[in-house]
Amino acid sequence: MSDANGGDDTDELTTLRRAIEEIDRQIITLIGERLALAQRTGDIKREAGRPILDAAREAEVIRRAVNAARELGVPQEATREIFWRIVGMSRGVQEGGDAP
Amino acid sequence: MIIITRPDISDAELDHIRERVESVGLHTHLSRGEQRTIIGCIGDEARLAEVPLKSLAGVESVMPVLKPYKRASREFSVNRTVVRVGEHATIGGESITVIAGPCSVEGRDMLRDTAVAVREAGATVLRGGAFKPRSSPYSFQGLGREALGLLAEARVSEGLPVVTEVLDTRDVDLVAAHADMLQVGARNMQNFALLAELGRVQRPVLLKRGLSATITELLMAAEYIMAHGNANVVLCERGIRTFERATRNTLDVSAIPVLKRETHLPVIVDPSHAGGDADLVAPLAFAGIAAGADGLIVEVHPNPECALSDGDQSLTLPAFAAMMSRIGAFATAAGRSMATPARTPRSRAFAGTAA
Repeated sequence: MSDANGGDDTDELTTLRRAIEEIDRQIITLIGERLALAQRTGDIKREAGRPILDAAREAEVIRRAVNAARELGVPQEATREIFWRIVGMSRGVQEGGDAP
Repeated sequence: MIIITRPDISDAELDHIRERVESVGLHTHLSRGEQRTIIGCIGDEARLAEVPLKSLAGVESVMPVLKPYKRASREFSVNRTVVRVGEHATIGGESITVIAGPCSVEGRDMLRDTAVAVREAGATVLRGGAFKPRSSPYSFQGLGREALGLLAEARVSEGLPVVTEVLDTRDVDLVAAHADMLQVGARNMQNFALLAELGRVQRPVLLKRGLSATITELLMAAEYIMAHGNANVVLCERGIRTFERATRNTLDVSAIPVLKRETHLPVIVDPSHAGGDADLVAPLAFAGIAAGADGLIVEVHPNPECALSDGDQSLTLPAFAAMMSRIGAFATAAGRSMATPARTPRSRAFAGTAA
């Protein structure tokens, strides 16, 4: 509705969208870093003859993420879903395949 | 398995219970109500034998869920699910939602005329087919992408959220970019690859019962979508194949109360496909509402004689308005009310600038 409001809305929308794009990039960069670390822990597990899947450890990661979400006022159930996905991706690279 | 918690359970206790369940490889699903909170456990329940669930702080009782569907089951959710479609429409809850529009989008003018008429008659969601699953490969297959664009236009200009069918896993993102709700047709109810894909998109799904599908199979199809991450599923009874040839299909009215007993998901009725005859649409719609359905999806066409698909079962615009004028009494008798549009449509002069 820029025509009706003199263009200010559109400028602000553009600025906000740029900031969101930058955050998205940071999120993806961090996911990449997390997967690289997961790959290394996978190598260590394999050398030690330990199974890749550690359900107790995954549950702990989720609990910690939800705790942080609660402290920061971020929706907890959605955070849970996102972190299960990230944990699944990490397990995927540890198992040597592509992340699901 | 569901875990019913004590009313005074703390966040830390809830977290601990879920961590214990998840530490043996199961997933948990939380359903919060005003009085109580339920933790649903999904996965190999045999593994829970090693977790002393009943002795964990905050646990009141533990109950098995014997049905093959878990997330879709009534036991898994404290409250009935209300699915939001677009900004303002909802399906489920106290009010009855009517979805209406042409079987297929045939052009801009017919879509706009239909949208205006159904909105004025009380529909709050617009339907319109872009990709059509036809029994014959030689029948009209829908306008495809062009229809999606017209639906997206009507969505803005008429202020109605739109639902349209997706046939192919490759089209899911494209359709999701244009529609507020994605429909799975009866013929695709057990297309598990498509259901899984719909689980991944954050759009509500209208899941139609297969022509020969049992109620359990319908609920398992919903479970598929939910298990892949999308809990916003609306079920649709649209008639099943029986020995009776006087009607195209037989509306399984009893499926409505059975589904309402078995699941927390909303249930709507498609009286157009059930009977396959415009004269049967209103009586079947009334029967559906009387049996407890949360809404209807009705085919309407400005000129059914010239419709490119399903003209026999499409209501004319006046016939739709006449049906809508009578439906409130059935809603009231069923202890419900009719959903009302939450806003007036945007002026057409601004159509297209809102994106």
